[in-house]
Amino acid sequence: MLPPFRLCRPSNLAEALDVIGEEKVPYCGGTELLLAMRAGLHRPETLVDIKQIIELAGVRVEEGAVVIGGIERHMDLAVHPVVREHLPMLAKVEGGVGNARVRAQGSIGGNLCFAEPKSDIATALVAYGGEVTLAGPNGRRTVPVAEFVAGPYFADKEPDELLVDIRVPLPDSGTRAVYLKYQVTERPTVGVALLNGRSEGSCRLVVGAVGEVQTLWTYDDPSQIEPDAVAAELDPTPDLTGSERYKRHVAGVFIRRAIDALGAAA
Amino acid sequence: MSVPELAIVEISLHVNGTPIERAVAPRTLLVDFLREDLGLTGTKVSCELQVCGVCTVLVNDRPVSSCTFLAVDADGAHVRTVEGLAEGGAPNRLQEAFVDHHALQCGFCTPGFLMMSTALIESGLATDRHAIVEHLEGNICRCTGYQPIIDAVADVAGCPRRLAAGNGHGTSHP
Repeated sequence: MLPPFRLCRPSNLAEALDVIGEEKVPYCGGTELLLAMRAGLHRPETLVDIKQIIELAGVRVEEGAVVIGGIERHMDLAVHPVVREHLPMLAKVEGGVGNARVRAQGSIGGNLCFAEPKSDIATALVAYGGEVTLAGPNGRRTVPVAEFVAGPYFADKEPDELLVDIRVPLPDSGTRAVYLKYQVTERPTVGVALLNGRSEGSCRLVVGAVGEVQTLWTYDDPSQIEPDAVAAELDPTPDLTGSERYKRHVAGVFIRRAIDALGAAA
Repeated sequence: MSVPELAIVEISLHVNGTPIERAVAPRTLLVDFLREDLGLTGTKVSCELQVCGVCTVLVNDRPVSSCTFLAVDADGAHVRTVEGLAEGGAPNRLQEAFVDHHALQCGFCTPGFLMMSTALIESGLATDRHAIVEHLEGNICRCTGYQPIIDAVADVAGCPRRLAAGNGHGTSHP
């Protein structure tokens, strides 16, 4: 049983921004929020349902970036033609988040706002160099995903701000990207995103899920990556998905596999 | 004018084709609404964490965990539960296939597996065993009857019965 709360259904962004705050929280798929409420970790007075707000929906290419509305569901993004064309690695990651029910309910914006340390999506978006757009009472601001997901379950977002969209710069033609994860339970032990563009310093390796936040390394070329050295630099959090030593080992293995997979990727 | 904050919400929806109108508190979970208010106890509850899949129902043809889905979010939707699968009072093809393949022991997880599988078959994406395994990854059977379940779904979806030995369930996303 959930604690009692009220429901508010604004029909546009301005109405939503007018309502949300410390006790009146944005609510979309509920795949994270409702669990936190049931566990007694969160007891908002009002859930502000943002699912009908058109300004938060849709996927488009604009000003050299793929713009993804915050309320877009994982399931839809996994098959969206724009995402598949420009960000195929993200499409694949979206198709593997949680399970099919989580993908049907959960939104990309909610996933980032919850800042789950094992988020596959955050890891993928850091590799792509994505940013989030936040709207608040004082206008809008843009924050790189790598900074937005500031700590475990802590996003750089004020209670009166709303995540409007995610902007991912269009990768240069010829960019290749892979995402590999190791997962035997509900959440991954490690997730490795590796992206290689054509320009200098455009090889980006991101290791997620092992520690408190995603970690990014940049190179000129994947051949410069030393998997064991990267694994040694990680700061793994021991938990049900593995001990510190185990996670370091698995991360090294998956970095090596990602380099191989990138070589094989078209 | 500010948007109202409701303590009770009027909802109207279809459940297994039957139109229903009720007033519910926002915190009412869809599974409780189905079981307690409508008496449709075919849908089960277990983990309450969206992990086990026994509470799976279809909302506008999409599988959702009804234990973590607010009844108010089903407003205006078509909800389907295991009670809606039977055709003309008899088990449908998928249910028959579960029987034929012995795809259940205790049966507690079965409504969830049936609804989850229904979503996959209707989507047309049950192209091979691997797709079935991936789709059903989020459903748990503690009698460990996974292979017969996959056989039953594969049978209805019309895909080959078995992969090479040892490549059945438990695969993670590469």
